[in-house]
Amino acid sequence: MRTSFGARPKNDRAPLLSLSAAQIRFFSLVRRECNRFFKIKRQTLGAPLLETFLYISVFGAALGSRIDELNGIDYVVFIIPGLIMMAWAINAFTNNASSILQQKFQGAIHDQLSSPASPTQLLLAFSLGGFLRGGIVAVLTFTAATILVGVPVEHFLILVPSLFLVGFFFSQLGVLVGVRAEQFDDVSFAQTFVLQPLIFLGGVFYSASLLPEPFRTLTQFDPVYYMIALVRYGFLGYSEVNIALSLGVLTAATLALFLVNLRLFSSGYRLRA
Amino acid sequence: MDSREIETGRALEITDLVKRYPTGTEALREVSLDIETGEFFGLLGPNGAGKSTLIHCTTGLAQPTSGSISVFGHDAIDDYGDARLAVGLAPQELNLDWFLTLEESLDYHGGYFGMPKKARKERTAELLEAFSLSSKKDDRTQTLSGGMKRRLILARALMHRPRLLILDEPTAGVDVELRLELWQYVQRINEEGTTILLTTHYLEEAEQLCDRIAFINDGQIVAQGTSPELSAE
Repeated sequence: MRTSFGARPKNDRAPLLSLSAAQIRFFSLVRRECNRFFKIKRQTLGAPLLETFLYISVFGAALGSRIDELNGIDYVVFIIPGLIMMAWAINAFTNNASSILQQKFQGAIHDQLSSPASPTQLLLAFSLGGFLRGGIVAVLTFTAATILVGVPVEHFLILVPSLFLVGFFFSQLGVLVGVRAEQFDDVSFAQTFVLQPLIFLGGVFYSASLLPEPFRTLTQFDPVYYMIALVRYGFLGYSEVNIALSLGVLTAATLALFLVNLRLFSSGYRLRA
Repeated sequence: MDSREIETGRALEITDLVKRYPTGTEALREVSLDIETGEFFGLLGPNGAGKSTLIHCTTGLAQPTSGSISVFGHDAIDDYGDARLAVGLAPQELNLDWFLTLEESLDYHGGYFGMPKKARKERTAELLEAFSLSSKKDDRTQTLSGGMKRRLILARALMHRPRLLILDEPTAGVDVELRLELWQYVQRINEEGTTILLTTHYLEEAEQLCDRIAFINDGQIVAQGTSPELSAE
């Protein structure tokens, strides 16, 4: 079979569909990111779900039988908003950091970097991969928790933007660590020694108001504490923090992180020689 | 109509290109190079001479310190959209995405370059057939032999129908049989109208394939011309 390898006049390949070339490019970049985690879904979706289920079982069933209620809320129900937030945050972070680092190792990222995609398109696509993976795990966790123990949604209009902001913030953090990382140890270090302590000590499994000093005050320096508080308020209507202020600061922090990453992508930091 | 007749002028125009790394190493020292449309151009030089750096600057994988690069009249450094659409890169490394199948590798690449779904599907089937990879289309790239990976990388570079194909040492480390096979492919690609920039450190390869050759050493072009001209020098 004789096949044409060669160039054709430009108008021969004009798009026939309604999507513009830039839209096709962006969706292809996002599809690639989603395809990656769907192909290893036992690890990227199954494992986080099992982990969350184990937390609910161990903390809810074992510990919950002794604690009963926290701030007038059933203990199992009290911890679920934090678990949902944690699932979204950790999966968004891990996905993006791993995906970028793997592609840097393989050199496969050069395929995207040498395409006409702009730094903004590349950054948003890499960010959305983790954001969507985290979102899927969070929605499945919420669905399972609702069936198992019943989880109320008291403030939908606070809950949705809070979860989206948390997901996007940790997506950006994953991108930042993935771009900076030179080995897989860098990603594990950030996750194990920074992210998980901040999340666990931010009050996923307890109410900070019950902690003795100085731990109660120290918790207030943990940014994740405010994220958990926002999500918990959205679900349960209970909060220990100023909701408007927390939402404002989270929005500003997410935007700032996005701009930092955009600067890195525009300058080619550790992506282009 | 021969597609060489469609376009004339310069496919690639590099002027006073300098690339200095943060370590202070100057990989390119005011390199200037012109490649005419339809030409098969060879860039010959030893390892570390600056061949790959020049290619990376042209394709956006490295940022030049100074100088200009133009692809078919389009700026390739700042306003790079049209320039990158016109270039296909087959890198030296087998930089395939392990998570993707062969079909997906080509499809995503086409998507990155803005090709609509139908065009991607047709082009993918066409290239897999042309490079005798159709039977492997659903296999992951990591399962391929070295020769198949090399062919897939060439197919991927051609996916969006580039007018300038850049081949960075495509035959480095491959056996004689595969080298001859790759030569046949690239000669045919050039005959069908695609301009080719080939980097190599094999003199024989450059002489066999290229209309013109430039020698690069220590970040500078030290000689260029046709093979007989260079032999005479």
